[in-house]
Amino acid sequence: MRFSLNFLKEFLKVDIKTDKLVSLLTMAGLEVEHFEAVGSDWVFDVEITSNRYDWLSILGIAREAAASLGKEIEVKYPKVTKTPLLKTRTIKIESLKDCPTYVARVIRGIKVSPSDTTLKERVVNCNINAINNVVDITNYCMLKWGNPLHAFDEDKIEGDIYIRRARQGEKFIGIDEKERELCPENLVIADDKKVIALAGVMGAKNTEVTESTKHILLEAAIFSPIVVRHSRRAAGLDTDSSYRFERQVFAGYLEYASSEAANLILEKCKGAFYGYAFSGKAILIKDKNLTLKLKELNEYLGIEVPKSKVKGILSSLGFKVKESGKGALSISIPAFRLDVNELVDIYEEISRIYGYDKIEPQIPQIARPLAKNEIYDFKNKIRNYLVQLGLKEIITYSMESDEALKALGYDNVIKIVNPLRKQENALRPTLLLGMIEAITYNLNRMRQGMRFFELANVYGRDKDGFCESPALSIGVAEEEGGFFYVKGALLELLKNSNITEFSFEEKSLVSFTNALELFINNKYAGFIGKLDNETADKFNLKKDLFFAQLDVNILQSESKFKVYSPISQYPAIWRDISIALHKNKKFSDVLKVINEKKEFISDYQIVDTYKGKDLPEDFAAFSLRIFYQSAERTLLSEEVDKIHNDIRKRLEQTEGIKLR
Amino acid sequence: MDAEVRRLEEELQADLQKANTAEDIEALRVKYLGRKAVINQLFAKVPSLSGEEKGKWGKNLNLLKNKITSAIEEKIKGLGSAEDKIDLSFPAKKFDKGSTHIVSVVSQEICSVFEKLGFTVVEGTEIENEWHNFSALNIPLDHPSRDAFDTFYLDIPQKNAQNGKFLLRSHTSPSQARVMNIIKPPLAVVSPGRVYRPDQVDASHSFMFHQVEGFAISEDINFAQLKGVLLNFVRLFFAPDTDLRFRPHFFPFTEPSAEVDISCFICKGKKEKCSLCKGKGWIEILGCGMIHPKVLKNCNIDPKKYRGFAFGMGVERPAMLKYGINDIRLFYENDVKFLEQF
Repeated sequence: MRFSLNFLKEFLKVDIKTDKLVSLLTMAGLEVEHFEAVGSDWVFDVEITSNRYDWLSILGIAREAAASLGKEIEVKYPKVTKTPLLKTRTIKIESLKDCPTYVARVIRGIKVSPSDTTLKERVVNCNINAINNVVDITNYCMLKWGNPLHAFDEDKIEGDIYIRRARQGEKFIGIDEKERELCPENLVIADDKKVIALAGVMGAKNTEVTESTKHILLEAAIFSPIVVRHSRRAAGLDTDSSYRFERQVFAGYLEYASSEAANLILEKCKGAFYGYAFSGKAILIKDKNLTLKLKELNEYLGIEVPKSKVKGILSSLGFKVKESGKGALSISIPAFRLDVNELVDIYEEISRIYGYDKIEPQIPQIARPLAKNEIYDFKNKIRNYLVQLGLKEIITYSMESDEALKALGYDNVIKIVNPLRKQENALRPTLLLGMIEAITYNLNRMRQGMRFFELANVYGRDKDGFCESPALSIGVAEEEGGFFYVKGALLELLKNSNITEFSFEEKSLVSFTNALELFINNKYAGFIGKLDNETADKFNLKKDLFFAQLDVNILQSESKFKVYSPISQYPAIWRDISIALHKNKKFSDVLKVINEKKEFISDYQIVDTYKGKDLPEDFAAFSLRIFYQSAERTLLSEEVDKIHNDIRKRLEQTEGIKLR
Repeated sequence: MDAEVRRLEEELQADLQKANTAEDIEALRVKYLGRKAVINQLFAKVPSLSGEEKGKWGKNLNLLKNKITSAIEEKIKGLGSAEDKIDLSFPAKKFDKGSTHIVSVVSQEICSVFEKLGFTVVEGTEIENEWHNFSALNIPLDHPSRDAFDTFYLDIPQKNAQNGKFLLRSHTSPSQARVMNIIKPPLAVVSPGRVYRPDQVDASHSFMFHQVEGFAISEDINFAQLKGVLLNFVRLFFAPDTDLRFRPHFFPFTEPSAEVDISCFICKGKKEKCSLCKGKGWIEILGCGMIHPKVLKNCNIDPKKYRGFAFGMGVERPAMLKYGINDIRLFYENDVKFLEQF
């Protein structure tokens, strides 16, 4: 909201420099975002927090400024005239919940013309267009008191006035000249024949006050904040009036705002007071009372605010304060402070005016640490470990398009009811698409080093409605390694978590070729695979992607504390075997034969692979190096030869394995 | 013989002068000390000399040989090393290193500052309901204060009326309600994680971002302690001379509430045209306050007995401030050139 210094001065003498005032207001919670000189005036853009409807008036801001300056404001209340009563029309409220109170004042025989300079300056400097004297006066009074007003051209009102819900499809053309179709969410002001205003939001074109207007009906009312909020949203509008009604307006100033407007119109537009009408509940203003104990206040804030300060601050804000026994104050909360209800609200009033900067920092004794959050720590551990392995962490969006997920075989995903874009209308049950996007983004920029991982939640439906669990994805593009890079990273990760009971099973998975599923202690823990070409094409991925996704909960629950394994002090001896393997056999078959007897075998590695003409058809060859080692002594060459020859013999006897 | 030796010495001096590289010296060594070297030819003459002469020249030639050897050695030392000289301006090795995402780095950094004070990390869930995201936190339905928390709703069937619709949490504050319902005070918790709001993506907005929520509840927590804990945080996270300012604000779940500004760590509040603080000298970084008694009550904690404070901050914003990152989209594009910088 924007307000001006000259307007503020109608309530308060300001004798400090403008920048000092700005900093005082900001440090009291009324944040000045911008201020500048306009002619002989200063204008201020302030951020009004949603609890302070009272700051949507110059009066409220003046009260705040006064408290910050340690002064009191001066309010001149206008003369309120309620006679004669209006006899020509009746005001009919459909529901007091929508509109508890409605007041009308009719003035006849006026002359509408442009406003004088001062009035114009008041509204324009508060960011409202000057229209004519009548409209400017209603806006001036709204700005001053916080109560929105509306003036109708009385000649154009046909019959009685109704405050009712709009009928479905009813038409409304506002003073912005746009036509809108209304619905029962909209509260309207209507006459016998037509809608004449969208209640609390905007007047209609059909009864607008123009230069030719002779008689006016001045409306002042209280509308339900929720109703105005829904109504203006349904109409796609947000006006100075709806902004105030939505945050609640104070009924106590209703008659002042209306009367001051009427008085000013009589003064500046001539004419004569014709009648007053009231409908709805009588306005009852009651102050609330609370007892404040100074000791409790000071314990809450961690400072010592002197009693005299407390009293001074509260009175300058309009609270009534009385001593009430030792160390206690009886406080009466002014009715216009609808946001102050409890002691903590009063604590805030005192502390913010006293100055948050006067609060000296303390460090609390945190009494009892809770049990560790194991999943958080575990995620940090595997994140750090994967980084050590040379992988880069990525973060991708949790939402994807349901169509893309469907293409991967996910049908029943959780959808977002109000998505921002179609590309992100569902919660992902897989981290695959994020990985594809990250790899594609980098491929398009000719980047290298796409060895990625992500730690994020995946979401799905289950019998309880939904599930959300942490997952780990690893993905590498062709040039950065292949399937065995990802498999290697997984094995390192399992080793680092001291998980020894696991197995891989070959599986055909949707969207993948060459896929393995990982089981830990017979529990499914994830998979590795190469994205198949069809899927890669679908997502415009130009390189092979090797991808793994793991269930972090399973990893964490199966992980064990690391234990040191002793290092042998004796040398290892190695022997090589050249093996040709039939395509129906796997390396794991070779390993199985070797491991039938595990004597002294400490490690193995492939040292060479070979494909050539001198191999039998359907065979592939490699050299396997086996390491033999004992923890207790140096092995003799002869005994290693014996074990090794035994392995050779067993391998030779296996179908599909030939030694070379 | 005399003349020959003298000539040899003169030639050696001249050659030594000219020799500047390891190759030159090697050639020198071959010439003067090699198998076919002149000195060896002179040695070959010694046996044919007469008795006295034999002794004298044997000794002289040996001295000469030592002199040549040490002169060459000296020359080698002067050159530094006999090894090949390499071009040290060649490009250094590039390492294929792994990297932690900067959002994870900063989030861990924030949490660990509070862990040192005795806070425990508890992660909440991203799928939440209206009760935990709003109502329990004293954010009423249909209130303008909800406008600040625009939210993505989900098509998960609603289970009970009090919990309301399912949604993606729009802040990490629901963790407060989750933790308070399970664990009784005294407690101190930080809760990091992803949050979601339907904001159009631009340089400073994203529909997904990260926050860290923190709160402590005990019988004697006070507002001054909140200030102390946060002052400790900004000094450890930003710079040891960082100053902090509490500015009154409104949050439905805290009372009193404050927005927290830190002194500009670039211009130290002294430059009029500072690119970071725009000359204000202060940068807003988080919101905080004393937990509203209604929130405690909603979470089954007796507000007459217990008090608490709470604070919430983004992760991307402090990361952007601290590392000078100018566009929030960089965090989610995952460009290798960005990732490898951290």
